[in-house]
Amino acid sequence: MKVDLELTVNGEAVGISADPRTTLADLLRDHLGLTGTHLGCEQGVCGSCTVLVDGHSARSCLMLAAAAQGREVTTIEGMASESGLHPVQEAFSRHHALQCGFCTPGFFATVLEMMSEGVLADEAIVRERLSGNLCRCTGYHNIVTATLELLGGRP
Amino acid sequence: MTYVGIPVPRTEDARLISGQGHYLADLAIPGMLEAVVVRSQDAAGELRSLDADEALSLPGVRMVMTAADLPESARAITRSFYVLTPQFVERHAVEVGGSSEPVLAAGRVCRVGEPTALIVATDRYVAEDARRLVLADVDPSPAVVDPEAALSPGSPLVDPAVPGNLHGRFDVVVGDPDRARENAEHRVSARFRIARSVGSPLENRGVAAKWVDDTLTVWSTTQIPHVLRSYLAPMLGLEEERIRVIAPDMGGSFGGGVYPEEVLVPLAAMRLGRPVRWLEERGEDLMNSRHSRDQLIDAELAFDGNGSFRSLSMRILQDCGAVNPFGITLPFNVASHARSVYRIDHFRAEGLCVLTNKTRNTPVRGAGRPEAAFVVDRLVDMAAHRLGMDPADLRLKNLIPADEMPKDMGMMYRDGNQLVYDSGDFPDQVRTALEASGYQTLRDRKPRSDRHRIGVGMSCHVEGTGLGPHEAAEVRVDTSGKIVVRCGSQPHGQSHATVLAQVCADVFGIRPDDVLVRTGDTALLPFGGGTFGSRSGVTASAVVRIASEQTRRKLEELASDVLEIAVNDLVFEGGRVFPRGVPDAGLTFAELARLAAPGPASRRPHDPGLASLNTFVPPSVTFSSGTQVAVVEVDIDTGMVEVLDVVVVDDCGTILNPMVVDGQQHGGVAHGLGNILLEEFRYDDTGQPGSVTFMDYLLPTATDVPSITVIHRSHPTPLNPLGVKGAGEGATASAPAGIANAICDALAEFGVEVTEMPISPARLLDLIDQGRR
Repeated sequence: MKVDLELTVNGEAVGISADPRTTLADLLRDHLGLTGTHLGCEQGVCGSCTVLVDGHSARSCLMLAAAAQGREVTTIEGMASESGLHPVQEAFSRHHALQCGFCTPGFFATVLEMMSEGVLADEAIVRERLSGNLCRCTGYHNIVTATLELLGGRP
Repeated sequence: MTYVGIPVPRTEDARLISGQGHYLADLAIPGMLEAVVVRSQDAAGELRSLDADEALSLPGVRMVMTAADLPESARAITRSFYVLTPQFVERHAVEVGGSSEPVLAAGRVCRVGEPTALIVATDRYVAEDARRLVLADVDPSPAVVDPEAALSPGSPLVDPAVPGNLHGRFDVVVGDPDRARENAEHRVSARFRIARSVGSPLENRGVAAKWVDDTLTVWSTTQIPHVLRSYLAPMLGLEEERIRVIAPDMGGSFGGGVYPEEVLVPLAAMRLGRPVRWLEERGEDLMNSRHSRDQLIDAELAFDGNGSFRSLSMRILQDCGAVNPFGITLPFNVASHARSVYRIDHFRAEGLCVLTNKTRNTPVRGAGRPEAAFVVDRLVDMAAHRLGMDPADLRLKNLIPADEMPKDMGMMYRDGNQLVYDSGDFPDQVRTALEASGYQTLRDRKPRSDRHRIGVGMSCHVEGTGLGPHEAAEVRVDTSGKIVVRCGSQPHGQSHATVLAQVCADVFGIRPDDVLVRTGDTALLPFGGGTFGSRSGVTASAVVRIASEQTRRKLEELASDVLEIAVNDLVFEGGRVFPRGVPDAGLTFAELARLAAPGPASRRPHDPGLASLNTFVPPSVTFSSGTQVAVVEVDIDTGMVEVLDVVVVDDCGTILNPMVVDGQQHGGVAHGLGNILLEEFRYDDTGQPGSVTFMDYLLPTATDVPSITVIHRSHPTPLNPLGVKGAGEGATASAPAGIANAICDALAEFGVEVTEMPISPARLLDLIDQGRR
């Protein structure tokens, strides 16, 4: 049995049929070839698979693809525009806020959500909001710096 | 301008920030099948049978492979990782057995998680369904879990071939530790328990393989592609030439070795004639991969009333798990780094490698140094407390002075060379850390409430970095005029593409953008070491420098020949070679590459092309060092610890790229912080693991790790061309001890002495309560 899905991914309408137990992450990665969304634990803890669904951060490993019916999904592949990289991408690179890059797409989704909510550029608040995304390489130092800059705080 | 030493932005980033990384799980090979591993659920017992009939009958299942299906040569991984010299073995009374890790369990199981079968199916969903249908008939036997009990007479044996469960031992004696101890006025001692932790990169392991045209291609999340190829060739009965190992982008690693799945997946691909991929799940990774630490160390520091250290002695009990391919590596790393930056002329370290029914232990970021620093720096603080001295003053009194460098430490390193601290200025490093942290006034900080206490702690470390046996690189002038670097060491976050380009660019007088760095593929060059033990900055930069210089000489010879100008009168600038003062008269690298191409008109018929393949064999390790000051706030009602500040002073010799090095320091501190406050992989007393999700095994988050200040006090080593010392692991070594000392300082009124890693809030509350009574 398959379910027919219609959703928007990175601004493009997608019509696809998938096994009902397919997760959103597997739909993105295996069916749509958007491998920029990474799976680190498949238990909803590490945050690597975080994407935006209707502008809100969501763990794509825990969300069934069927639950994205009619919704708008944004992944790392949808961030840059014709005019260039998104400021989040630029800030993370400039501040060396990524090393292996595996957790980075999930951090991007979290930071995009913070920016759209207008989260205050306060270090304690930023750290709290980032604490749902694990990184083993950077010690978070440069991720916090980049995020504070993006939120309009200290560079 | 030159590029070594400046924060050149990373060339890696463009791909990684746009979702264009190419990690193992992103690999899609046409016709690819997916595999899952069936694993033992018992810690010990007889494996009577494995019934896979029902799994095989599930639609979509292509194969279930068990031990009986393995060729004789591929039944076990039997190589040990390091070869010890006879001189080393004799000098330090080393005894160590061989290692044989079953690729699939046969006849018996020796740990939970041990692979018993491989299922290959059309996709992962089907393969996981089939896994539940494989029935193992195991007659369980008592598991050996406690390493001390493992050594007691009458303990069950983990491996029938290893009597008494004692797989290896050594005894290091420097000076006359017994007499020095007898004559000392004071002694402090403790039993230190360092829990088992897991490397836990964000990407789990994975292996894929395809067998096409009698050639095997293996993709693996490995730190050592060439080493893996050398393991696989005899096990699979293939020439190395017919095996290509590729390490794609990797989501961290932090330790490793060669694992059974790296043999199983290629075998399955060869047998089925179809590409096969296996992706590890997080629970499997936590249970099976990159376990480390897990030591019980009894240690004693003897010292005089004026604070002078006399002797240090320790007995290190290493819980190796069920097999031990790394031999004495981990406990010997403790022994060889235990005296840290201190002058301690008399030293004894006895090491015991004990087998238990657990996952095998392996070197992970720090690999013995965090344990060593934890033990010695906790003892130093206990000694300071005994004498009523400030711990910083006691350290300053006992540091090896700069004018004693290089300092022979009176023992061997495990590469068989004399252990010599080659460079550094420890007193300057410690004083810098004290000044930068504002040490004298830190304790005046006001805690946030009556139930909070502020504490300050300090720690130091040394680290033998840049271990051999070798690293290899080829540097070639491409016909485009760009320089191509192929290197045997490959990254999992360490920025090789950027840093090695900087090293090469300086030799040719070009920009790093004009250098193309290729790594992670055995097809690139015949040799390679890999990335482990803080070695790539040291050994890869050295060999890239050497190969670049040799290729430059070939360019010079050719340009001199064509332009009829002496080599000394040639200038390299902007990808061109020209006579000094006559920039228009020169040749571009591209033109020179074409002139050197093979053919009847070649200007280098005897050695066509412009390339050089070199190796660098380090004379021994080179010693990095560092000092950290940590400030913590402890809630005495809950036992919660907040790390407020960490200052790192690091000496990694010549800094290739300060942005990258600082990033390594930040990550290293976070890893060490996790080890001392959060991370513990638990087994119950039947050998069942209890930490197989990220909800049970806690990694530090952004709220656990503070802002980190990094200061460099560099003393380049004479042991390699650029003077580089490793930077990848040092911060992990110092962090646990510094934070532990800060906790003890905060809780001095309760007489708390932290002797275990990690120290949980519950355990800390126990210690506070004991102090209150």
